[in-house]
Amino acid sequence: MKKIFIDEQYCIGCRLCEIYCQVKHSKSKKILKAFREDQPGTLARVLVEEIGSNSFAIQCRHCEDAPCTGACISGAMAKNENTGVVICDEEKCVGCWSCIMVCPYGVIKRDIKSKKVASKCDLCFDEEEPVCVKNCPNEALKIKEI
Amino acid sequence: MKAFSASGSAKGMNIKMVKNKNILNTDYLIIGNSAAGLSAAENIRKNDKNSPITVLTKEKYSNYSKPLTTYYLAGRLEPGNLYFKKSNFYEENNIDLKTNQNVVSIKSSDNLAITEQGNQYLYNKLLIASGGRPIIPEIRVIDKTGKTLSLDEAMSSVKGIFTLTTLDDAIMIRKYINEYSIKTASILGGGLIGLKAAEALLGLHLNINIVELSDKLLSASFDETASGILIEAIKKSGSSIYCGQTIEEIYTENNSINSFKLSNGRKIPSDLLILAVGVLPDTGYLKNSGIKTDAGIITDSRMKTSIDNIYAAGDIVKSHDVLSGSDKNMAIWPIAVKQGEVAGSNMSGIDTAYPGGFLMNSVEILGMPMISLGQSSIEYDDKNKDLKVYKSHDTDRKIYRKIVVRQNRAVGAILIGAIERAGIYWGLINNNVDVSEIGENIVKEDFGLIQLPADYRKHLVVGEGIEV
Ligand SMILES: Cc1cc2nc3c(=O)[nH]c(=O)nc-3n(C[C@H](O)[C@H](O)[C@H](O)COP(=O)(O)OP(=O)(O)OC[C@H]3O[C@@H](n4cnc5c(N)ncnc54)[C@H](O)[C@@H]3O)c2cc1C
Ligand code: SF4
Ligand code: SF4
Repeated sequence: MKKIFIDEQYCIGCRLCEIYCQVKHSKSKKILKAFREDQPGTLARVLVEEIGSNSFAIQCRHCEDAPCTGACISGAMAKNENTGVVICDEEKCVGCWSCIMVCPYGVIKRDIKSKKVASKCDLCFDEEEPVCVKNCPNEALKIKEI
Repeated sequence: MKAFSASGSAKGMNIKMVKNKNILNTDYLIIGNSAAGLSAAENIRKNDKNSPITVLTKEKYSNYSKPLTTYYLAGRLEPGNLYFKKSNFYEENNIDLKTNQNVVSIKSSDNLAITEQGNQYLYNKLLIASGGRPIIPEIRVIDKTGKTLSLDEAMSSVKGIFTLTTLDDAIMIRKYINEYSIKTASILGGGLIGLKAAEALLGLHLNINIVELSDKLLSASFDETASGILIEAIKKSGSSIYCGQTIEEIYTENNSINSFKLSNGRKIPSDLLILAVGVLPDTGYLKNSGIKTDAGIITDSRMKTSIDNIYAAGDIVKSHDVLSGSDKNMAIWPIAVKQGEVAGSNMSGIDTAYPGGFLMNSVEILGMPMISLGQSSIEYDDKNKDLKVYKSHDTDRKIYRKIVVRQNRAVGAILIGAIERAGIYWGLINNNVDVSEIGENIVKEDFGLIQLPADYRKHLVVGEGIEV
């Protein structure tokens, strides 16, 4: 499967990945609307951690043995056996946050803007390349087949 | 995997009848169609593409998630949406599901499981994943004439008293609420199931009374502060909480509950009572099976019982608690799933160890998300001098965070309000990481991976691709 690799030393903490991710997962897919108008709004599924000049972006690692899927009480969080991508079926999700409780990377967010759902990286399965990777100006994110 | 099936295993013909018409032959027999049973079945099928797998359930439903039943109770989900495996799961994995099959005994010397419905299942390997049963406390139930029953006896005859561990329970409660236009309901027990029931009933705008023996809600995992935050929120919603109390007597009229008396003598009117004081491993039917039990089935690290071809997983097992080092019942979904997975692997020939687990839960009540992990209720005191306990409490924003560290290892956490990165603590506890470098940053709201020891960060990401 494909995985996103994170190169901490190249990350400049610009958070463009967060912005592109949020727009990509918004209703309108337009930057201004996504941030100001869309109802319900959406969240970025990648997050940048930063202390001083040290920073990196992190999103779901699509774990081999994913704790979030085993904790999910509704079956919403599941790994696609063919692609390896772990996806939350937002229709099925009940917002119990059991997945948040066990994700060792802390990359699932509570989306409570309309129905409560767990919001996380879907590896932009419908794009050629995840938008965070594509739009990182410094190649701190790379996607590789492993 | 040939074993007893003289007949091979053509698709859809999993069960071959042998000897007489009531003996059904299978390779893998799984008692229990829930978290543990189905994760085992799925894993067996990954390793063994052909041998017959048969799953038995005493219930009539094909598949539903117990934790979702309170969402049904709240009117947030309909019965058709309570499944946690899709309807094609059984077909896709070639699993033969038999509903309405209540196993009443196991003859391990003959590899037979016998059901109340008169069937005998001949297995090669057996998994017992039949879960727990609700505890019925000893309470006198008294009617107008003074006639007294035990609560156990009254469960089947008196209306308005329920347990809540199955979908049928939830359906009966919801029906009762609608039929009798119930406005006030009471819950005995302020643990996970009691609180999830409370959350559901609050959502239906009922007034609720919670009666809890301990002086805290969620007493196994919450400390005084956490419990206090929760109690305040529930009281604000117009409900009542009676901590340090139990129910002494239940009073009935026209064969229905109408009130009960607390241990302090106070009488509380109530026309619905949910008993949620806990679940116990339901091992009664294993009495003469030869399988070793001691408040739950005893297994080794492979989830194998005292009998060679019999495994067990989930709520029925006495599980290994990695934090205390002892074995106890830990009736939670993620543990059942993990144990099922391990049992399934071992049953199908892939040697796998269950490392043990620890208690945790996540509930959201009145819009407040709350997560607790591991040994979260303990405090630094004379008995616990080796603890460092970090706390932060923002009363305005209703945010409480507590991290318990013992000998440089995180062993427990409570997060209320700001729960987003709770799983990082789960990882630290699970991987026994030295957190001494992190100091009090560990409890801060902006705590993240970036503060973790570099070698753990590397370990975390081995094979997952963060370069640090
Ligand atoms: C209302 C409620 C809410 C909960 N909420 C949460 C939560 O939010 N988070 C969490 O982690 N946990 C929660 N739990 C606990 C969780 O549901 C259990 O830990 C989990 O379901 C255990 O799975 P299991 O497979 O061991 O057994 P169970 O889920 O108990 O399933 C047992 C299966 O065995 C079958 N069975 C039993 N006896 C027999 C027999 N004699 N013959 C044939 N079949 C039999 C039953 O029909 C069923 O299919 C909740 C439980 C309840 C009741
Ligand atoms: S959400 Fe977390 S636990 Fe689940 S696959 Fe992604 S990184 Fe792993
Ligand atoms: S929040 Fe949704 S995806 Fe996460 S465990 Fe609960 S139901 Fe599953």
